[in-house]
Amino acid sequence: MMRFQRFSTATAGYVLVWRALAFVVAMGIVALLLALSGRNVGELAALVARSTLGSRFGLEDLALFMAPLVLTGSAVTVTSRIGLWNIGGEGQFYLGAIGAAAVGLFVHGPAVVILPLMAVVAMVCGMAWIAVPTLARAFAGVNEIITTLLLNFVAELLTYWLTTGPWRDRVTGALVSTERLPVAVPEIWGVVHWGFPVAILVACGLSLLMSRTSWGYEVRVSGANPGAARYAGMPTRARIVAVMLLSGALAALAGMFEVAGTVHRLQGGMSDNFGYLGIVVAVLARRSCLAVIPAAFLMALILDAGIVLQTQQLAATAVLAITGLVLLLVAIADELAHYRPVVAEPVRRSAPGVSS
Amino acid sequence: MKGHGLLTRRHLLAGVGAGIGCGLLPAQAAPGQTRFAPLAEEEALIAFGHVGPITDGGWTTAHELGIQKMKRVFPKLRTIYVETVPYSADATRIFRQFVAEGAQMVIATSNYGDFIKDVADRAPDVAFLECDGTRVTDNLGWYYITHWYASYIIGVAAGLMTKTNRLGYVGTFPVPSVIASANATLLGAQSVNPACTMNVISINSWFDPQAATQAASALADSGCDFLCGITDDPAYLRVAQARGLKAAMWNLDMRRFGPDSYVSSVVLDFSHFYIEQVRARLTGQWKAAGTFLTLGHGVDRDVWGATVPPEIAARADAVRDRILAGETPFRGPIRDASGRIRVAAGEIMDDQAIYQWDWAVQGMTGLV
Repeated sequence: MMRFQRFSTATAGYVLVWRALAFVVAMGIVALLLALSGRNVGELAALVARSTLGSRFGLEDLALFMAPLVLTGSAVTVTSRIGLWNIGGEGQFYLGAIGAAAVGLFVHGPAVVILPLMAVVAMVCGMAWIAVPTLARAFAGVNEIITTLLLNFVAELLTYWLTTGPWRDRVTGALVSTERLPVAVPEIWGVVHWGFPVAILVACGLSLLMSRTSWGYEVRVSGANPGAARYAGMPTRARIVAVMLLSGALAALAGMFEVAGTVHRLQGGMSDNFGYLGIVVAVLARRSCLAVIPAAFLMALILDAGIVLQTQQLAATAVLAITGLVLLLVAIADELAHYRPVVAEPVRRSAPGVSS
Repeated sequence: MKGHGLLTRRHLLAGVGAGIGCGLLPAQAAPGQTRFAPLAEEEALIAFGHVGPITDGGWTTAHELGIQKMKRVFPKLRTIYVETVPYSADATRIFRQFVAEGAQMVIATSNYGDFIKDVADRAPDVAFLECDGTRVTDNLGWYYITHWYASYIIGVAAGLMTKTNRLGYVGTFPVPSVIASANATLLGAQSVNPACTMNVISINSWFDPQAATQAASALADSGCDFLCGITDDPAYLRVAQARGLKAAMWNLDMRRFGPDSYVSSVVLDFSHFYIEQVRARLTGQWKAAGTFLTLGHGVDRDVWGATVPPEIAARADAVRDRILAGETPFRGPIRDASGRIRVAAGEIMDDQAIYQWDWAVQGMTGLV
């Protein structure tokens, strides 16, 4: 007799198969809805493929999308390893952008000095932004989900205030932004700048840090079983503080690259929700620092396809709905991956009171 | 010294008035050089990027109406559009995708600055237009309406109708077009009622009906009995109707959303401009330029609301007649919010100066 039993772990192979199936089902539903609304699905699919993976422009855009997504996805993933959720990536992203813009606007020097300084100041700003939620979590047990989330709104309003007030562009005067920063992250391939390889390297480095160092081991144990970690003498509290500050710095680095590499001006709304999308990336990556890279790639593909679909007169909300559908089915697939067929032993059923 | 082109639509070739702002590109648009080959109507693809949904009932709907009229003139023309283009790198992606799909002309109905210029610079064969833009390059031009005259006329009515002498303004971003709108309305009101003041709340969005409703309620709570603003939608008119206040709107005739409160609106008509620009592109005559659509030619005050007393409407319309005859109301002395004289007595603010307005006039709070 065969039945399906839920296991507490899911193997990577199962997850991949189920997710592929979920993706196919999601695309099938979308295709059906598009066909019902009278669109030529084949043509749309071909256009999306040509405009994303099938063209130089499309590949450049994918890389530009991936750079911040890998970093904000990593920011959420590292906190998830210690059992916490940094929902404040959006705010730390803005603080990173603010810090980088401050350096760009007010410090003058050669790019080789200014760009690293931008990155350092951005990361310090991101760490400062998450400092209060970090201390509140580590020393008072305050739920970090709420505190990090609420600071996002403060950060975005701070950006609006700076860009329409003290730092506003007095040259063209028409944008809700600062002046164009005099220093830019160099482009390496079309419009793709150094933010992309740096983000990939950061993700790889984090993976090594988590899997190959005693520091990473302590983080993982503190996340898996805080009681056991403390009993083993691990400095759990210090690890929580370090991981959350690291998380803030990663999201801020994404903001630095976005402002200095892609947008070139600090302005409200520039985040494109990368901070929030980092949460999605982390969920897709299932707490693996390395899996953040393919997860960010998938997210970038969906976002880029969304741009193409919008030019085909699909509303932005329809694109959002498609994204939601994919993620919903992926979440279901992840759960289904925990189930495996087992052969039930018939003996157990007839065990008591049977004498033969 | 009159304001620029009050009676005729004036093409401000070669950038935006000499001597204003050093950062404006030199923008000599190579006069006479036609870099854009003529196009058959059925081969042409014109792409529009909108800041909000075309059903917003205001700004984007006004553009959409203009586009529909344009398409009746060129029935074989293909157009595509994207709604709710954010002010982020996504805007660049969308404009780039327009180019990749073969658009020969891309029109952004809001100010996308570098996001559109970066694309235009890499696509020299495509004609770009940016509403509320400031820069002119070989293939990127801008257009805008001189809405400040309509706002001034409506301000005259506001000054005569307010009982508390407090006007409320639902702002979006503290950018020059908004500053010009608020300043013009208040100056119009003060011209007939010097005690008038104006309170501004910015909602950091052009289209956010919930935030506009909250801002309008807060303004009403603080004692404002006449609401105006520059949002894309009619949200604050509903607040005015519910609370028995008066309201002046933007973009379109919105009286059906608040018939008792509706005073007037800064109404827009982009159809003639779009027809002219598309025709120029099709015939290969298109040249990048900065263009103001002037009072009576793309922007005007709407027919007065049902509850506006005829004598007040007449007084405001008298001001309109004087503006149409070439007089400008933006004449010094004009003081800023701190009381300092910024435009000396007898001096005139022309359209270019108003288009770059970055300070609030006396009696204004919350604007910049």
